[in-house]
Amino acid sequence: MKETILSIQSPLGPPIELVQFTWRGAQPKNTISIVSGIQGNHLNGIFLCSRLVRFLNSVESGKEPGYYLKGVIKIIPTTNSPAIQEGKHLWSFHDLDMNLAFPGNDQGEVPEQIAATICRQTKDSQFGIILQSGDTHYEDAPHLLCLNPDGLAKNFSRSLAIKNAREPKISSTFRLCLYDQWVDQMITSVILSAGKPNHLDIPLCETILPGLINSLVWSEVLGNDQKKSIKYQLKFNRQSNEQFVISHAGGFFMPTVKLGSEVTKGQKIGEIVDIHSNTILESILSSSSGYLVTLRNNPMVYQKEVLAILLGKPKFPFWPIK
Amino acid sequence: MQSQTISSYQTPSGQRVEILKQSFPSLRKRPVKRIAFVSGLHGNELEGVYICHLLTKHLSELQRTQPEAFQGEVHIYPTVNPQATAIGTRLWPFLSIDYNRQFGESDGHSLASKCAQELMHDLKSSADIVIDFHASNLHLKETPQIRITEGFHKKLIPFGVHCNIDLIWVHPPFPMFKSTLGYNMNQSKIPTLVIETGIALRINQNFSNRILLGMLNLLYQVGVIVTNNPPAPVNHPIIVQPSQVIQVHSKHAGLFIGHTDIKKNIAKGEVIGEVVDAKNGLTLQEVAAAEGGFLFTVREHPLVYPGALLGRIAKDIIT
Repeated sequence: MKETILSIQSPLGPPIELVQFTWRGAQPKNTISIVSGIQGNHLNGIFLCSRLVRFLNSVESGKEPGYYLKGVIKIIPTTNSPAIQEGKHLWSFHDLDMNLAFPGNDQGEVPEQIAATICRQTKDSQFGIILQSGDTHYEDAPHLLCLNPDGLAKNFSRSLAIKNAREPKISSTFRLCLYDQWVDQMITSVILSAGKPNHLDIPLCETILPGLINSLVWSEVLGNDQKKSIKYQLKFNRQSNEQFVISHAGGFFMPTVKLGSEVTKGQKIGEIVDIHSNTILESILSSSSGYLVTLRNNPMVYQKEVLAILLGKPKFPFWPIK
Repeated sequence: MQSQTISSYQTPSGQRVEILKQSFPSLRKRPVKRIAFVSGLHGNELEGVYICHLLTKHLSELQRTQPEAFQGEVHIYPTVNPQATAIGTRLWPFLSIDYNRQFGESDGHSLASKCAQELMHDLKSSADIVIDFHASNLHLKETPQIRITEGFHKKLIPFGVHCNIDLIWVHPPFPMFKSTLGYNMNQSKIPTLVIETGIALRINQNFSNRILLGMLNLLYQVGVIVTNNPPAPVNHPIIVQPSQVIQVHSKHAGLFIGHTDIKKNIAKGEVIGEVVDAKNGLTLQEVAAAEGGFLFTVREHPLVYPGALLGRIAKDIIT
């Protein structure tokens, strides 16, 4: 079912609307909420939601052999609809990062009203997934972010068929993001980050989609008569094992490594060249081995910026399979 | 006056961006107090940049004519987000992130958060008191005021009363403030006053001159500047608790047409403005003061959505 859960009049144009899709099984026990589009230019998450909507509508009409609805599935694909329509990361009318607006305020400004509506609509969920792309100017290899996961959260994460999980950094603004609101409410939840802003990577999304469907089966909101959910292997990376590669000069960053690859100690990650003369200003070598989870996407770099993030080898490489 | 670069970085085209500190040293070996003025965390807030200019001009002249007046140290950081100020944007350019949400525990890896750490470090090593100037955003005009997070008020109000502002607003410690410079300096036990005045991208000379007078008075009161001619007497602010602040919101989308400026002694029921529908000529909402008091915030941006803030009244305060 598609419904408009918030409609805010606009001074001159069409109203700002927040849309939610909901499916309900016969005797629902669990509820899962999937949210994307918190940043207006994170398109992969919005596309993945649209693929899930198509799939679940198909399940509902009996066209997906073996699958049936068990619990409640809520999908809110276009959270920051004003920014999405503007084609920007943030809605320029307020210049406010939507992910710093939670838990929101029903009586407040537009981003606060949206945030409050999202919190209200998702608060009764047992599970939650936030879909996002890499930060501005960066591309992420698919990975999860989850904070202090207990056994349930680890198993939920493993159902998503993503190979790496990281700990989110607890900053002073962390309290204002949706994920923290969910953690506070004991919703077993993860952030799934993949790709880069302003870009729709359909092949990447198609590789992520089966894992998302598997997680719905694992969390018992979706049933399947023919197969059980799969528990995949997942590397859990601690912050202390992450290596941030920093630029020491401003210029064009020309990477020589591929996102999602293993980089060895001493391997060349790229060069920074002068934007006028093309002379090499810095040759960047990796100081340790690791998996390249994030790579600078915008070639224009300032000095002191992050060029790449490597996930080092963890002491215990896999979460134990129970 | 001495100039020092506290932080710098190279742009993609090779130019250096420098964050500067202008210092007026003390004549004494051990300065009485050290006070720092910071402006431009948000690049479109120019009121503080202008106040820093006025301060620098005044103190340079004082240093030339009465060097013995400097019993303490004064440090001025006029534009701490210089690229944003150069183009008049609120956010850190290129990254579109709010510089004043990079303090305290941050991810520590973005250029903005590194500059924030360097600024904090420099302030901690050079100041006993900090003044952080802000204008409002593009939407609201604010009377000169100091905003204090509850818990810091006992320490800050005694300084705030010298600043020639209209109002001190003590508000609860909202989570959003925990990443600001002001909150984190206060947490570090360095009293920091956050002054809010005017509106983004504009300079209100009347407000700026009043605050200049307040800053000179503060320097005098804390013994940093000692002259034979004490500054003129300043306005004593009203001190407002959260329960005394009434917010006026728009109930409709439309154009807000203000009928009054910032105003002391607004009467209950007095019209502040109206929200009109530009398409059909209708008045959607007549916006009236819900309480009598001091209308210390008024909306300047005409475009409003339902829920938009139109004004704030400090109620029951007759000045």
